[in-house]
Amino acid sequence: MNFDLSDEQRALAAAARDFFTSACSPADSRRALDEGTPVAPGRARLADTGFAAITVPESAGGGGGSVLDLAVVAQEAGRVLAGPSLVSVARAAVLLADDDARLASLADGSVGYAVVDGTAPALDAATADQFLALQGDALVCGTGVVTVGAPIDPTRGLGQVELGVAVELASDARLRWERAERVAQVILAAEGLGAAERAVEIGVAYAKERQAFGRAIGSYQAVKHALVEAFVGVEQLRSLVWWAAWAADEAPEELPLAAAAVKGLSAEVLESASETLIQVHGGIGFTWEHDAHLYWRRAKVDRLLLGDEAAAYDQVARLVLAAPVPAREQEAAR
Amino acid sequence: MNFDDTPDEAAYREQVRRYVTEHREELARIGDGSRRDGDLTAARRSQAVMYDGGYVGVTWPKEVGGQGGTPMQQAIVDQELARAGVPMHIGIIGLGMCGPTVVHHGSDDQKQRYLSRLLRGDDIWCQLFSEPASGSDLAGLRTRAVRNDDGTWRVNGQKVWTTLAHVADYGILLTRTDADVAKHRGLTMFVVDMKAPGVTVRPLRQMSGHSEFNEVFFDDVVIQDSERLGDVNDGWRVALTTLMSERMSLGGGGTEVGMGIAPVVEHVRERIGSLPADRQALVRQDLGRAYVQTLGIRYNGYRQLSAISKGQMPGPEASAGKLAGTKAARTVADIAVRLLGDEAVYAACADGTSAFQDSQAGLPGMAIAGGTDEILRNVLGERVLGLPAEPRADKGMTFNQSLATTGGAQ
Repeated sequence: MNFDLSDEQRALAAAARDFFTSACSPADSRRALDEGTPVAPGRARLADTGFAAITVPESAGGGGGSVLDLAVVAQEAGRVLAGPSLVSVARAAVLLADDDARLASLADGSVGYAVVDGTAPALDAATADQFLALQGDALVCGTGVVTVGAPIDPTRGLGQVELGVAVELASDARLRWERAERVAQVILAAEGLGAAERAVEIGVAYAKERQAFGRAIGSYQAVKHALVEAFVGVEQLRSLVWWAAWAADEAPEELPLAAAAVKGLSAEVLESASETLIQVHGGIGFTWEHDAHLYWRRAKVDRLLLGDEAAAYDQVARLVLAAPVPAREQEAAR
Repeated sequence: MNFDDTPDEAAYREQVRRYVTEHREELARIGDGSRRDGDLTAARRSQAVMYDGGYVGVTWPKEVGGQGGTPMQQAIVDQELARAGVPMHIGIIGLGMCGPTVVHHGSDDQKQRYLSRLLRGDDIWCQLFSEPASGSDLAGLRTRAVRNDDGTWRVNGQKVWTTLAHVADYGILLTRTDADVAKHRGLTMFVVDMKAPGVTVRPLRQMSGHSEFNEVFFDDVVIQDSERLGDVNDGWRVALTTLMSERMSLGGGGTEVGMGIAPVVEHVRERIGSLPADRQALVRQDLGRAYVQTLGIRYNGYRQLSAISKGQMPGPEASAGKLAGTKAARTVADIAVRLLGDEAVYAACADGTSAFQDSQAGLPGMAIAGGTDEILRNVLGERVLGLPAEPRADKGMTFNQSLATTGGAQ
C-alpha cells in the first residue's frame, strides 16, 4: 500500500506554493471587496505557470497530468484564496475532451470558460468569455450575459448566466458532464483543504503567541481542543481528497462515492475551521483588517457550490444503499 | 499512489490467508463469547493455533519467541484475522502492552519464563496502571511498594479499570516507591503474579451491563525484587514503553470503533423503505454524514498503513483515529437504534437481538477507555500542533507535597 503523494507531487506542491504565495494573498480578496479589483493571480498568470492546465492534454498545450497532480496544486491555491478557481479549468478540461482548439484556448488562458448549472450562480462567470452548459443531454458552448450579485467571497466570481449564441459540442454528453462535475467537486475540495489547513495554521500560531490571564491562550483546553477538532477534520479531508483525486484518475467506479463524500466533508471542515479561526482570535478575529473573515467567506460560499453538503450526504447514502462498497484487500483490522 | 500490496506483502498475505482458512475451525469466532466467559479454552486455543503458525508476536525478536518480522506483516495478520471474523486474541493486553514492556525492560530470566507462554496464550496478562484517584493523571498513582529487609517488596493499594484481571495469570504493576520526589520520578514497575496471596480481583459492571474490567486490590502482596522491570524509581520511563507499544499495537489504523458501519448500512437498507419520505430523507442525511466520517477514518488509516509499509512508525497523530472513530461510532449506533422504531426504547428487540442497543450502551465508555477524548486532544494539541501545555498546579512539587496541597487523602 502506498497511499501517499509521490516525490514528484511533493515537488509540484512546493513549486505551486512558491508561486501562489508570491502571486497573491488573502489581502487581494479584501481589496477585491473594497475596490472591486480583479482576483489574483488572475487567469493570465495562472495560464503562464501551466498550473491551471495540468489536466489538459499535452496535444492541446496542457500539462497532460493527473487529477491528483491538479489537486495538489489546487490545495496550494486554496491556502491563499487564489482566483480564478482551478475548479473551472478542471471541469472545462473534461467537458472539452476532444476539442483541441478550445482546449488550447483553455490552456493558454486566451479564453475564460465557466460552467453553468441551470440557474445556479456559476463559478468564475464574472470573468468568463465562454460558457459550457448541458441542454437536455447535449453539451453546448457559447456566449452569455452574466448578472453578478453582491459577493460574499469576491474571489469566486459568481454570477448567473443567460446563455446567448451557443454551439453544440456533443449530443450525448451526460456521462461526460457527470464526470466533469465530480472532478470539479474533487478540485473544489482540494482548494477547501488548502484553505482549511491554512486557517488552522493561522489559528495555532496566534494561540501560541496571544497571552491572557498570564499564559498563552493555546494552553487552555477550550482553545486547544477547538483547534485540534479543526485539525482532525483537515487530516480526514486530506485523506479523502487524495482518494477522490486518485479515483478520478485510476478507479472511475469509485469516483461517484468519493466525489460526493469529499464534497460533503470539505464543506463541513472548511466551515468549522474558518469559524474556529475567528473564535480563537477573539476581537481581532471579526475585524475587516484580519484575514480570518476572508477564509470564512470562502467557506460560506464554497459549501454551497456544486451542490451543498446535504445533497452530497444524500448522494453518499443513496450510493452505499444501492450497492455494497467492495472491501479493499487491506480492509482495516477490527 | 496505489492501494495494492507490494509483492512481498501480497505473498505474505496469501500465506496468512491460507493458514487462517486451513485452521478456521480451531479459531474463535466474533460473538462466540470466548473472551467473556469463564471458560477460556477456546480463546486460548485460537491464539495458540496462530502462534504455532508463526503469526503471533510477528514483530517480536526471534530470541523471545517472536518472528522478527515487520509491523506491516503484523498488520496483515490482523487484517486477515478480521476478514475471517476471528476476534482479537485473548492475550491482547499482554501482546500489545505487557509483553513489549518485558521485552524492553525485563531480565533474561523474565523473558525466558514469560514471553513464549504469553505469546501462545498459555498465560494471560493484564496491565495494572489506573487507580481510583489517578486515571488520566497516571503519574499521580498511590499504590505503594515498600522494600522489605530481605530485599523483597510489599505492595498495598488499589488498581481499577483492569481489563482481563479476572482471568489474568500475570500483570505489570506500576507502583510508588518514593513519595518525596516529583510524582513521575518515584515510580517502579513490577511483574505481579495475579494468583499471589493478597491479590483480590472484583469485577466492575459497566453501564452496558457487561463486566469487561475489574478493580484489583493489593493487600501486603509480596513481590520478589527479581520481578522488577527496570530500575527502582525508573517506572515512568518503563510505563512510557508500555503506552507507546499500545499505540503501535493499534497500528494498521483505520480500525472502526464499535460495530462498524457495514451492518448498519444493511439495517438501513432493510428498514428505510417502510418510513415516510420525509423520514427517509433524514435517515439518508444521517447515514451519509456518518459514512463520510468512517471513510475519513478509513483513509486516514490507509495513510498510516502506508507509513508502516515504508517502515515508519505511527506517531502521536495516530490519536486522531480513536478520537474520530469514537465520534463516528456513536453516530452510527444512533442511526441504527433509531431505525428500530418502537423497539428503540427497549434494551433488546422482540426477536431477542440487541446488537445495536448494546453498541449504543458501550460507546460512551469508548470515549474514556484507553485515553479520554480530552487527553487525546491534549496529546494532539501539544505534540502535533505544538501548543503549550496546560499549566500543572503540582509542578515542581514532590508527590507528598502535591497531596498536601491538593488535599488528597494519603
